Amino acid sequence: MSRLDCDQALAHLQDYLKRELTPELVTEVRVHLEHCRDCTGYARFEESFLSMLETRAGQTTCPKELRARILAALRAETTGS
Amino acid sequence: MAEPSAPGRSFDEEALPHLDTLYRVALRLTADPTQAEDLVQDTMLKAYRSWRQYRPGTNARGWLLTILRNTFINDYRRRKHEPVAMDLEAVEPHALYRSIQDTDPEGSFFSQIVDAKVLEAIDALPADFREVLALSDIEGMPYGEIAEALKIPVGTVKSRLFRARRQLQAVLYDHAVEAGYIKPRETAP
Repeated sequence: MSRLDCDQALAHLQDYLKRELTPELVTEVRVHLEHCRDCTGYARFEESFLSMLETRAGQTTCPKELRARILAALRAETTGS
Repeated sequence: MAEPSAPGRSFDEEALPHLDTLYRVALRLTADPTQAEDLVQDTMLKAYRSWRQYRPGTNARGWLLTILRNTFINDYRRRKHEPVAMDLEAVEPHALYRSIQDTDPEGSFFSQIVDAKVLEAIDALPADFREVLALSDIEGMPYGEIAEALKIPVGTVKSRLFRARRQLQAVLYDHAVEAGYIKPRETAP
């Protein structure tokens, strides 16, 4: 297996964190991270950014009133036409 | 064989579970809660009316998001001053990390920024960027599914995402410096 250098590993980092890499590349990136403190630090930073996005913006739910309004509109479609 | 009323139940089963996702994406697209509500309702009605075009067992979320997006583009006036992309091309991708790696390597300043500021910063991204960021990093959709819903190549999804994240990080960093969560980057000698 070829060893990735820092530039190559970092080029794959975003896809690695989003689980979009092939299993082979996942292993190659992981091996690089295990041996490179600098890249591991950067990977942690990117990870904390991504998880921040998910927790801050991903918790909002559809308001109850809107849900009720939509359901009523759908029912009107069914019976109305 | 299929009666007109027959799809009713399966529409509920397939489409309604995605209301939260549609609402969150609509919020980011419109950057306006009232418009977001109208957009979700319009989307659901259009989806219901064209429910026969949906192939059961395929990706209902993607199908709904395509309708949401088309509705937004066709029927909703975009903001008067639609944000533009920052010119980050000249900046080395890891420059931000380099400037904080000694003081806050884990990026804990992110957690100090209040929710409203984070959302404000997302909504200040160009529409194309907000869209992919919402679908990927907020909704957790795979790149392939995003590409299909937006009818763009996977490579475009990735490059938009990459630039969206960098711009967002830069804006949040500036905010964190301003708010005193983090020490300012040392100016180059």
